[in-house]
Amino acid sequence: MSLRLKLLLLGLATLVLPWAGCNYAREMESALRSGEQTSLQAVAQTIAASLQGRTDLLYREAPPTDAPADAPAEPLPAGAEPAVDPAANAAATAASPGTAAVAPQEPPPVATAPAGPYDLRPIALASAPLLDGYSEDWPRDPSAWAYFRKDARHHFGVLSGVSERMLYLLLEVHDEHPLFDAPGNNTLDPATFGDRVWIGFDDPEGQEHQLFLAATGPGAVTARRIDPGEYGQQTAVLEPRVHGAWQPTRDGYRIELRVPLSMLGGRFGVLVDDRDARGAVPVSYGTLRSDDLHTLGRLIVADPALGSYLTQFLQPGLKLAVTTPQRRVLARADALAQSTTLEAGTPLLARLYRRFVDRPGERQLLESDAPIYDRDHAKVIGRLEVTQTADRWIRLRDRALTRMLNFTVSTSLVAVIVMFAFAAWLALRLERLRRASESALTRSGIETRFPETEARDELGDVARGFSTLLSRLNEYTSYLRTLAGKLAHEIRTPLTIVRSSLDNLDAEQVPEAARIYLARARQGSERLNAILLAMGAATRVEEAIGSAERVNFDLVPVLASAIGAYRSAFAPRTFLVELPAGPVMLHGAPDLIVQMLDKLIDNAVDFSPAAGAITVRLLLLPEAAVIEVENPGPPLPPQLAGRLFESLWQSRADGDSRPHFGLGLYIVRLIAEFHGGTAAARNLPDGSGVRVSVRLAREP
Amino acid sequence: MKRLVAIVEDEAAIRDNYAAAFSREGYAVRTYANRAQAMSAFAARLPDLAVIDISLQDEPEGGFELCRQLRALSAELPIIFLTARDSEIDAVSGLRLGADDFLTKDLSLPHLIARVNALFRRVEALRKPAGGAGELIRRGPLTLDAERMQAQWDGKVVLLSLTEFWMVHALARHPGHVRNRQQLMDAANVVLDDNTITSHVKRIRRKFQAVDPDFDAVQTVYGMGYRWVE
Repeated sequence: MSLRLKLLLLGLATLVLPWAGCNYAREMESALRSGEQTSLQAVAQTIAASLQGRTDLLYREAPPTDAPADAPAEPLPAGAEPAVDPAANAAATAASPGTAAVAPQEPPPVATAPAGPYDLRPIALASAPLLDGYSEDWPRDPSAWAYFRKDARHHFGVLSGVSERMLYLLLEVHDEHPLFDAPGNNTLDPATFGDRVWIGFDDPEGQEHQLFLAATGPGAVTARRIDPGEYGQQTAVLEPRVHGAWQPTRDGYRIELRVPLSMLGGRFGVLVDDRDARGAVPVSYGTLRSDDLHTLGRLIVADPALGSYLTQFLQPGLKLAVTTPQRRVLARADALAQSTTLEAGTPLLARLYRRFVDRPGERQLLESDAPIYDRDHAKVIGRLEVTQTADRWIRLRDRALTRMLNFTVSTSLVAVIVMFAFAAWLALRLERLRRASESALTRSGIETRFPETEARDELGDVARGFSTLLSRLNEYTSYLRTLAGKLAHEIRTPLTIVRSSLDNLDAEQVPEAARIYLARARQGSERLNAILLAMGAATRVEEAIGSAERVNFDLVPVLASAIGAYRSAFAPRTFLVELPAGPVMLHGAPDLIVQMLDKLIDNAVDFSPAAGAITVRLLLLPEAAVIEVENPGPPLPPQLAGRLFESLWQSRADGDSRPHFGLGLYIVRLIAEFHGGTAAARNLPDGSGVRVSVRLAREP
Repeated sequence: MKRLVAIVEDEAAIRDNYAAAFSREGYAVRTYANRAQAMSAFAARLPDLAVIDISLQDEPEGGFELCRQLRALSAELPIIFLTARDSEIDAVSGLRLGADDFLTKDLSLPHLIARVNALFRRVEALRKPAGGAGELIRRGPLTLDAERMQAQWDGKVVLLSLTEFWMVHALARHPGHVRNRQQLMDAANVVLDDNTITSHVKRIRRKFQAVDPDFDAVQTVYGMGYRWVE
């Protein structure tokens, strides 16, 4: 793994910043949320406080002074509740999550309006139902139904609701023999009477009124009031403010009815006259006293003004509802849908970020409620429920989150980029160091200049360490290089002592038996002398090259002459010569060139079989003259590559006792370099031998 | 009367060996270990010949200085330099100190004594009137007097060391014939390596060119050696 990659990964570690940012945003969100909850609670309490004691608004009645005592003589508790739809029930429960217990049975009365069995509690309708006699447009809320039962054959259910200052009623009457009125002009003619329904109510002034509904067929139904005439003659007067529709059902009939709330006071009741034959005595039952049509039950409904009262507190994204203590909704003002949807108009980045922060299934609504007390602050007369969409704090959070994530992500990005750049820079410097260390050992010695030594960091220390090491190595190498020469010089003096002593000994009287030892000692000293000469050779060659004079000369006759000499010196060996026709002018020392050629030929002869022909070739290139010497023989061992021209490299495996220090090719190199050229050796392409080529720079 | 040979050499063993050899040959020998000793003795009496080592104790090139001082005392006194390194010959050549020969210590004692004898012969020959018959070689402008070991070019004396004289002598005796390095070494009674011979030849050319800038009689035959061309 490269340094660059490692540092890049390290840079990725800064991505923990956005992660921490996300976590922080979550925390912030929950803090915001609890703050919002608190303020929502405050809103709820404020509105609730403003409604304290306003039973007139909540229940359209003056604050009661005593509990209503008129319990029915014949209590008809709700007995025939239809099977409760579990899903609907669950939905109803879910709709009011703050409620600890939604009892199917009304709890004991705790508020100013205790429940009576005949009381009618209209629900707040979201929209006005169409008066057509069908129940599809009514909410499917089983708990909102009230049932009245006389016996198994006679019972009905009422669903009541309030919308837009109107009271709506849905009556489901069980009747085995539904019977319409007979068509006729006089609705008061008992002979025409079929099933009829009475409603009775107080007007706002407390005056009781009764209206009856009679239909001669399915469809719209009118309400009429019986008006005692001046002469005791009763007339049925149409009540134009009340509208309704009558439809037969599978086991009876259904009536939809609309009454303006302005007509109604605190009491309201329904009575069903069930006749099995026209004009027969009806079976009357319901919430009116059957003898005088006195209204037994109350109408527990909020003042229409309550809705507009709530509306003044309304803001987009807010829903306000006033409920009874039992959480039956009396009035509501809903602006939840008015809040702008989150997705639209939100920047793409923010939406992306929200994906990382939002936990799935998290609720997006805030709810709060507060009790509404009576005037004495003793009893709870209702509750105020406030619901708010998550909009506002999500928007706040989104803004903060977006900013923070933008900041942290760009910080991470910058950190990664900076780290990558730094790594690249480091890698570059390391690469420079590596290259310098690889090329430090040049052919001409040790390059002690090193890059990065000026740097003040650890890499600089390394570079300086290298530099110091190299200069020490250089000193050591030059010491080694001159060691042979110095050693030769130092040994020469004692050797001279030995040899001059031997010379003197020759002149003395030495027993004949000792002469042989004398001869051996002389042999040894001669060999020692030859070794010394060889050891000093490199130094002498370098000195000679250093002091050589350069002249302009033609290389061709020099080579021709030298090869002529080799032909006689190495006879009968064959020399093949390829020389250019024209002169090849060089600026240099011809003596040295010949000395170099001597070494090349020596080498070629040593490494080739006796019959092998040696080829000497002079190639003319635009900028250089190349002397090539080819000899058949074993190829160069690969480990020798590049070291062949080094000083003191010895690879001659023969029994030659002559001291040999492999100086030949080293001298070749020195002379080639003196002429601004290079020397190289490589195997012939067919592997049959070796070619040494020496480039010599030509005069421009 | 015995000829007096002075040996200035700081290595006692070598000094004594040389002294023994010269004594055996019938020379009177005085030995000195350093320049101060030698100079004070020379001031009192000049030797007939001086063999001087170049490096003397704490003076790496004390021999050169001694040679200069000695030459100031006498122009004719033969002086032989002995060096440990043959590369020093080049250094000496630039100094033109007037030494008659430069020898490396590899030289065997018999060779050394042969050279000393030759130098004494030359000294004697120079003292006699010139014109010894049969000993002269004339090659164009060159005249070699083997007796006096003296070379002349166009009648002008070219001051050659003993080694150089014998090399020129070997070349000029058979003009046109190539003399390889070994032959030159044999003629000069020295053991030298190729580069040293090359530098000897260069020095010979330079000395002749000092007299005649157009001198071109010593020719290099690459790969073989040198020859004298007329």
